[in-house]
Amino acid sequence: MLIVQQVLNGLMLGGIYVAVAVAFTLTIGILNFLNFTIPTLFMLAGMIGWSVSFYGLPFGMSEPLGWIPSLAIGILCAIVASLIVERFTYRYFKAKHGDATEHAIPLVSSLGFLLIFEYMILIAHGSDPRGFHTPFGDLNWRVAGLVISIPQVVGLIVSLAIVAGLSVLLARSKLGRALRATAEKPDTAVLMGVEVNRIVPIVFIMTGLLCGLAGALFAVNYGEVSPFMGEQVGTKAIAGMVLGGLGSVWGAVAGGLIVGLTETFSIYFFGATSAQVTIWGLLLVILLIRPKGLFGHNAIGKGKF
Amino acid sequence: MLLEVAGLDLRYGATHAVKGVSLTVGEGEIVTVLGANGAGKSSLLKAIAGAEKPTGGTIQFNGRDITGRGASQRVRDGLVLVPEGRQIFVSLSVEENLLMGAYTRSGAEVARDAEEIFDRFPNLEARRHAPASVLSGGEQQMLAVGRALLARPKLMMLDEPSLGLSPIVVDQLFDLIAELNAQGLSILLVEQNTQMALEVASRGYVLELGALRAEGTAEELAADASLVEAYLGNAEDAA
Ligand SMILES: Nc1ncnc2c1ncn2[C@@H]1O[C@H](COP(=O)(O)OP(=O)(O)OP(=O)(O)O)[C@@H](O)[C@H]1O
Ligand SMILES: [Mg+2]
Repeated sequence: MLIVQQVLNGLMLGGIYVAVAVAFTLTIGILNFLNFTIPTLFMLAGMIGWSVSFYGLPFGMSEPLGWIPSLAIGILCAIVASLIVERFTYRYFKAKHGDATEHAIPLVSSLGFLLIFEYMILIAHGSDPRGFHTPFGDLNWRVAGLVISIPQVVGLIVSLAIVAGLSVLLARSKLGRALRATAEKPDTAVLMGVEVNRIVPIVFIMTGLLCGLAGALFAVNYGEVSPFMGEQVGTKAIAGMVLGGLGSVWGAVAGGLIVGLTETFSIYFFGATSAQVTIWGLLLVILLIRPKGLFGHNAIGKGKF
Repeated sequence: MLLEVAGLDLRYGATHAVKGVSLTVGEGEIVTVLGANGAGKSSLLKAIAGAEKPTGGTIQFNGRDITGRGASQRVRDGLVLVPEGRQIFVSLSVEENLLMGAYTRSGAEVARDAEEIFDRFPNLEARRHAPASVLSGGEQQMLAVGRALLARPKLMMLDEPSLGLSPIVVDQLFDLIAELNAQGLSILLVEQNTQMALEVASRGYVLELGALRAEGTAEELAADASLVEAYLGNAEDAA
C-alpha cells in the first residue's frame, strides 16, 4: 500500500511539473525560444495568490472561499507578467532586428526578467519560505489504507484538462493551425494573412495560464511558498520536457509525470536529497538511448521569427 | 488598372534590391517579370504583397492606395503571392495547407471552395489527410496555387512557379495558369523560364540589378533576342 501511496503522490506532484513543462514546450515548439521567465510566472502566481489571502482576503470573504479569488488574482498576475515579457523581449527584438530567435538577446532578457520578478517579490516579502495552513489541507479521502488528498486530485485533473484543451486547440482549431504554420514558416504564414504580432501573445497567455495554474496548485497543495519556489520546479519541468521530447505537448505530459514519480520514489527509497541526482541521471540515460526524448519529433520549431 | 506600382524602391541595409520600379497589371491580364538571379524579382513581389516594407514608391490596388496596408489586409483585398520555392507547410496536412490559404476568410463557403480545389487536383484529394511533405514537387506547386486560390484572389502573383519541375509538370502548370486567367484571375508571373512566360503573358517587364531595363508586349520582348542575351543570361541554364 505504501508503494501505491507513493505512486499517487508522485502523480500529484507530476501534475504540477506537467503544466510547467507544457509551458516550456509550447514556447520552444512554436516560437523556438527557451523562455527563462517561466519559473518566475509559477512563483508569482503562488506568492501573489498567497499574499492576497494572507494580507487580506478580497471582497471581505472568509477563509476557504476567499482563497479562490486570491489564486485567480495570482494566476492573472502571471499572465500579465508573461505578456510584459513578450512585449519587451520577444516583440521588441523582432521589431528591431527582424528575427528574435537568432539572437541570444531574448534568451538573456527573459533570464533578466526571471531575476527582476524574483527579487521584486523578495524585496516585498523577504527570502524566507512561508509555510501556512490551507483551508483545503485536511480534505482527504481515505480508501483501503490510502490517503488521497482531494485538492491534489482536483489539481491534477484541472492540470491535465487544461493541457488536453490546449492540445485540442492546437490540433483542430483555426488558431492552432495558424500557430503551427507560423512555427514552421513565419514568413509564409504572413503571406496567408496571419498577423504574427497578434498570434505570438496568445502563446505567452497560454504560458502564463499554465504556470500560474501550476503555481496556485502548488501553493494550496503543499502549503509553502517562497520567492525561489519557481527555480526548483522550473528545472524539474525542463527535465520533464526534454525527457518527453522538445516541442511535444503529450511528451511534456508524460515527462512531467515521470519526473514526479521519480522524485517521489527517489525520496522514499534514498532520502530527500537524492531526488535531483535520480531525476537528472534518468534524463541523461534516456537521452543516451533516445536523443529526441520519448515523444520527440523533428518537424516543429525550425521556423524563425 | 488593377495593380499600379510606381517608383517602388526597396533596400536591405546596403543592398539596393529594387530601384524605382513602375509596373501595371490590368484586369484579366497576365503580366510577366523576367530577370536573372538576384535581379530583385522576389523582392519586388514581396514588397507588393506587403511582406517587405518598401523604402519608396506607391502601390495602388483595385483603385486604392495600399502602400501603408499590412500583408494581411492585402490578402483580404484579393492580392496574394505564391512564394518562390512553394513554401508548403510540411508539418501540416494537405488539407490544413489549403485551409491556411483561407485564413482571412470564414464561413461555410471556405469548405466548399476547398472541395472545388480537391476536384481540380485529384492527386491532392487522394492525400488530403497526409502530411504535405509526402507530395512531389509538382503536387506541392499545385497545393501552393490551390492554397492561394482559397483566399479568393483578384490578382495572383507567382514567384518562379516552374522552378525545379519536370518539363511535363511545367506544361501542366502553365496550362493551369492560362485556365485560371481564362476564368477571370489576373496574374503577375515572375519567371526565369522566359520562353514559357512570354507565351502565356500578354505583356512583360525585364528587371536587371533591381531596375527596369525593358518593357513591352510579349511579342516584342520575345522578338528581341539581344535582350534575352543581355539581361536574362542563359534562360535554359536558369530553368
Ligand atoms: N532578406 C534579405 N536581406 C538582404 N539582402 C537580400 C534579402 N533578400 C534578397 N536580398 C538581396 O537582394 C537582391 C535581390 O534578391 P531577390 O531575391 O529579390 O532576387 P531574385 O530576382 O528573386 O533572384 P532569384 O532569381 O535568385 O530568385 C540580391 O542581391 C539578394 O542578395
Ligand atoms: Mg527570387
